[in-house]
Amino acid sequence: MIAAVALIAGIVAGLLLRPTVPTWLEPYLPIAVVAALDAVFGGVRARLDSVFDAKVFVVSFISNVLVAALIVYLGDKLGVGGQLSTAVVVVLGIRIFGNAAAIRRRLFHA
Amino acid sequence: MTTRRPNGERGLSPQLLVELVMDPRDPAYEAAAQRRGGQPARHWYDRPALAVGALIAGFVLALAYVHTNRGAPGAVRVHDDLVTRVRTAEQRATVLATEAQRDTLRLNALRDSALGDAGPLSTALDRDQLLSGELAATGPGLQVTLSEPPAPRSTSDPGRGGTVPIAAGHILTDRDVRSVVNELWAGGAEAIAVNDIRLTPTSAVRFAGQAVLVDFQPIASPYTITAIGDADALATGFAASDVASRYQTLSSAKGIGFSFHEQSEVSVAASPGTTLRYAHVPAGGGR
Repeated sequence: MIAAVALIAGIVAGLLLRPTVPTWLEPYLPIAVVAALDAVFGGVRARLDSVFDAKVFVVSFISNVLVAALIVYLGDKLGVGGQLSTAVVVVLGIRIFGNAAAIRRRLFHA
Repeated sequence: MTTRRPNGERGLSPQLLVELVMDPRDPAYEAAAQRRGGQPARHWYDRPALAVGALIAGFVLALAYVHTNRGAPGAVRVHDDLVTRVRTAEQRATVLATEAQRDTLRLNALRDSALGDAGPLSTALDRDQLLSGELAATGPGLQVTLSEPPAPRSTSDPGRGGTVPIAAGHILTDRDVRSVVNELWAGGAEAIAVNDIRLTPTSAVRFAGQAVLVDFQPIASPYTITAIGDADALATGFAASDVASRYQTLSSAKGIGFSFHEQSEVSVAASPGTTLRYAHVPAGGGR
C-alpha cells in the first residue's frame, strides 16, 4: 500500500518537477529505467509469494542500478558501452518478463 | 555438455541461461525469508525504506518519460520552423518574380513607345526576349506528357520489407525529359515549359536523387512538356522522330505513360530567373 502510494508520488514528482538530465548521466538512464522496472516487478512478485522484504527490495534495486551503471561505464571506457548496455537491458528485461509471468500466474492462476 | 560438476557447483553452461529465463526471481528474497525462519520481518526502517525505494523507482520512470518526450517536440519544432521558413522564402520568391515580370512588361511598353513600332530593332528585341524566356507566351503548340508507370505494390519483394526497388518505381530520369525537350527545340519550338517551368537558353534539366530538376526546381511525374510553335510542323516532326518511337515502345513494354497532342492555344509563363550579364572592357583598356 505504502509502496504504491510512494511509487505514484515519485511519478507525479518527476512529471511536475521535469528535471533536466545532465548529459553525462544520459547513457545510464535506460539502465536505471529497466533496473527500476525490475525492482518493482520483483517486489510485487515477492509480495505475492509472501517473502517480501523491504531491505532486500531497496538494496537489490540500488545495487542493480550501481552495478549496471558500473558495467556500462567500464564498457564506455573500453569502447563496448553500447553492447554492454544492451546486455544489461536484455538480462534485466528477461527478469522483468519472468516476474510479470509469475505475477500473472499467481493472480489469474493461468 | 554436462551442467553439474562433481561437487555440485554450477558451471557456466546454457543451463544458466535457461534458469535465468525460467526462474528469474531474485534469490535474495528467498534467502532473507529463510534467514528469518518464516517470520515476517519487523524493523523500524522497513516502511521508510520501502517508501523511499518505490519513490525513487517512480521518479526514475517519470524522469525517463519526461526526458524522452522533451527531445521529440524539439525536433518537430525545428522541422516546422524550417518548413515555415522555406514556405515564406518561396512565397517571397513568387512575389518578387511577379514584380519582376510586371517591371519587364512596363519596360517593354516604354521601350516600344521610345523606339516607335515596327522597326527592325523592335522585332529583333521581341524575338530575342521570347527566345530567352523573358516574356510569357501564348499560341498554338504541342503538349507531350510522360509519366511513371503505376507504383508497384511492395509485397514479397526481395530485400527489406516495405521497400520498393528504386528501379521499379522510377524509370524516367532527366535524360528522358531532356531528350523530348531537345527534340522539340530541334523541331522548331519557340518556347518550351516543363511542368509550367519555362526553359531558357541557360536552363538545365538534371537529376538529383530520384527527382528531376528543372533549373534547380524539383518536379515530379507526370512530366508535361509544353512547346509553342507551328503546331502542325511540331506534331509531324515529333511523331516521326526517334524519341517518339522510343517512348511508344517503352510505354507498351514498361507501362510508362506517353502521349502528345496538338493544341490550338497553350501558354507558357515567363522565366523569373533571368540574370543579366554585362560585358566589360578589360581593365587594361583593351589591346
